[in-house]
Amino acid sequence: MTDRPERIDDDVIVCRCEDVTLGDIRRLIANGYHTIDEIKRISRAGMGQCQGRTCRHLIARELATALGVSVEEVEMPTFRPPTRPVLLSTIARGEGDE
Amino acid sequence: MNLLKEVDIAVIGAGPAGLAAALACAEAGASTLLIDANDVPGGQLVKQTHKFFGSERQHAGTRGIQIPELFAKKLVEHPNVETMWDTTASGYYDSGELVVEDGKRFIKILPKRLIVSTGASERFVLFENNDLPGVYGAGAVQTLMNVYGVVPGDRVLMVGSGNIGLIVSYQLIQAGVDVAAVIEAAPCIGGYLVHAAKLRRAGVPILTSHTIVAAHGEECVTGATIAKVDEKWQAIPGTECEIECDVICLAVGLMPLVDILWQAGCEMKYVPELGGHVPVRDDNMRTSNPNVYVAGDSGGVEEASSAMITGEIAGISAAESLGLKAPEADARLAQLKADLAAIRSGPAGEKICAGVCRATVCGGVWE
Amino acid sequence: MGRFTGGLRPSKVRLKDHPILDFSAGQEVAFTFDGKKLKGIDGEPIAAALHANGVRVLRHSPVSGRARGFFCAIGNCSSCLMTVDGVPNVRVCTEPLREGMVVETQKGHGQLPID
Repeated sequence: MTDRPERIDDDVIVCRCEDVTLGDIRRLIANGYHTIDEIKRISRAGMGQCQGRTCRHLIARELATALGVSVEEVEMPTFRPPTRPVLLSTIARGEGDE
Repeated sequence: MNLLKEVDIAVIGAGPAGLAAALACAEAGASTLLIDANDVPGGQLVKQTHKFFGSERQHAGTRGIQIPELFAKKLVEHPNVETMWDTTASGYYDSGELVVEDGKRFIKILPKRLIVSTGASERFVLFENNDLPGVYGAGAVQTLMNVYGVVPGDRVLMVGSGNIGLIVSYQLIQAGVDVAAVIEAAPCIGGYLVHAAKLRRAGVPILTSHTIVAAHGEECVTGATIAKVDEKWQAIPGTECEIECDVICLAVGLMPLVDILWQAGCEMKYVPELGGHVPVRDDNMRTSNPNVYVAGDSGGVEEASSAMITGEIAGISAAESLGLKAPEADARLAQLKADLAAIRSGPAGEKICAGVCRATVCGGVWE
Repeated sequence: MGRFTGGLRPSKVRLKDHPILDFSAGQEVAFTFDGKKLKGIDGEPIAAALHANGVRVLRHSPVSGRARGFFCAIGNCSSCLMTVDGVPNVRVCTEPLREGMVVETQKGHGQLPID
């Protein structure tokens, strides 16, 4: 496990899509944002193009470390469609119309 | 125009698990829809140039890249199978409707059963400049090199000594690329020693108890700092060492892609041995949502051979739950479970078995 | 933005002699990257064609302007978004290259083409 964050610098990127750093995440946790959903809503970490597939586990681990719990106990965010970004034209076209 | 496509079983993902699942469903007599975001079958098999181990029933001795074609032939010819390529599963709703999109339009599908074989995604790790161009996932390096024939760079630092890290390192050497070193945070090599031995013979150092501290470079990777780690996995100050490289390849594991399973309301569990959150399942790969089955890496990261087995198990079981059964399905199911146990009894199997045990519902059967 | 980087030796970028695989069959096509004329193989991902031309920096991140290349190369991580034929946010790690494509470094979140 090379992703243990305890001694890693604040300026390391956690969320590539939205440029959220480890320092940002740590500050939010210190300010009382204690779930992935709360952190997502305030910082957009996990809300970008990849929908958290790259950073979610890193934020979960940071939360677990800060709160002294296991990763298993960290509440996961809600998963909603669409799983991947969809073109506006697809939405506008709707179901099946050519 | 409202298209609501009704099928017996929809399979999401046409990698090793999904291909095996779809074929099993079709052979049992179920109308089967196989959906994949790519334009060719095989998922990540398309870049696996090495020969598989295990049993002949799971194509041991065959190179990964040759397997999709074996399935594709049977699937294309099968009257019960329909395929949708370049199509992404976008959402699964309480009504049991699956919505997919092909970049132009949404299509609603109403499958009686759903098999989720969406695979896994590359694990990202924290170190300075981890987002610099030249820091590539191991799967990315394999895709670039083995599918498209483009080498990733001149000199690679490989992070992670599991089977993927070892195999990709060897494939890099085959392609004429230098591998500066393979580093591993654990005190021992993660993958099969037969792969590690090939690297040692090629002169590649494998440094255990080492981690990556930083990538260097302004716009692209020009080097890396590595350091020894203590028993708590922390870099030990003063042990830093500079590595000259233009690629840092991350082979630090995969995480199951489970978005659709969360959407389906499946009971999920964090099982680190299987790579992250996975659905709780019974021995037949059925999740807590009785209409939803899981197969392959999305149920826990293993390897392609086991994915083909769990896929076929899911396919046979999903069809059987609809009253559809191929001749001798029971014997085949027993054989598959025996094969799976045999694969998991291998050198890397202990961890997988512990994970599968935690991810399986009590007694292996839902109430 | 989008300058040629990385110290790849051109002779070694594309594999010709590989012990297992054969890469000789591809059809060469021309495309442009930020106005420069480049060549690639028809149907390969745009990112692979760019990489073979020594282009690793695919964009700069929208908030802090950090250089980004591809990371997962299978369409999951969205690190590789570029503007292709005027359409922003195209995942070039999976988008196939075609003759005459206009590939551009994306500015920020990209702008929609207005007809």
